[in-house]
Amino acid sequence: MQNNQQKNTQKARLRPGQMSRPKNLNLLTIRLPINALVSILHRATGCVLFLILPIILLLLQFSLSSAQHYETVIAILHSPFIKIMLLGLAWAFFHHFFAGIRHLAMDVHWMTTLMKARYTSKVVLVLGALATLVLALKIWI
Amino acid sequence: MLIELLTKRYPGMRAWLTQRLSALVMAIYSVFAVARFLIVQPSHYEAWVDFFQPLWWRIATLLFWMSLCLHAWLGIRDVFKDYVPNPSVRDVLDKLLVVSLWVYLVWATWLLLA
Repeated sequence: MQNNQQKNTQKARLRPGQMSRPKNLNLLTIRLPINALVSILHRATGCVLFLILPIILLLLQFSLSSAQHYETVIAILHSPFIKIMLLGLAWAFFHHFFAGIRHLAMDVHWMTTLMKARYTSKVVLVLGALATLVLALKIWI
Repeated sequence: MLIELLTKRYPGMRAWLTQRLSALVMAIYSVFAVARFLIVQPSHYEAWVDFFQPLWWRIATLLFWMSLCLHAWLGIRDVFKDYVPNPSVRDVLDKLLVVSLWVYLVWATWLLLA
């Protein structure tokens, strides 16, 4: 402990203006509150949705180009593995959508106390799951 | 006050507002798109082409796609800002991001209006 403090002061002397702060990057030691979970998932799903943009455009172009290509796209979308992928991506969209609406609401100062923010976080997670479930029922039944 | 905040002197405010407005456009379009898909229920190729036939729908879709490109640009740029500390690497990534989004935008425009 003392040794650490000495190191810190040494570092601080070596690089003035740059504080040497303790780092705790073991993610398993950080307890993620539900608001933070919704927030990081909003970011992660946003990245995923960005990455699939070319696939969406490709599928759209292919499906519109001819009846034969349309059938190919439909066949691809009907394979069980793709269906599961699709469901995951749909969840990403739903979560990003609902969490985004929550952020917009907070921008106009709705639901901004901690209790309300926790509550709306739960609502966002439930709505995302429910929407995915409805889609799952629709594509499997 | 609000107008002043949106001038070039406060680029962060502009980015912030652009992010929100584009989100709003996309949210409205998404609800409409799902509703329209459920009402029309295009079940074969001709119906699918018809779904994208009306000009107003193509323009709405293009508006959605423009918002999406702006939104993705600001969003992914923020992700790079947070997780890529090396400025030269980040610069390259930012440029790649802008180029890819321009390609998607031109591609979508060609797809919807050609």
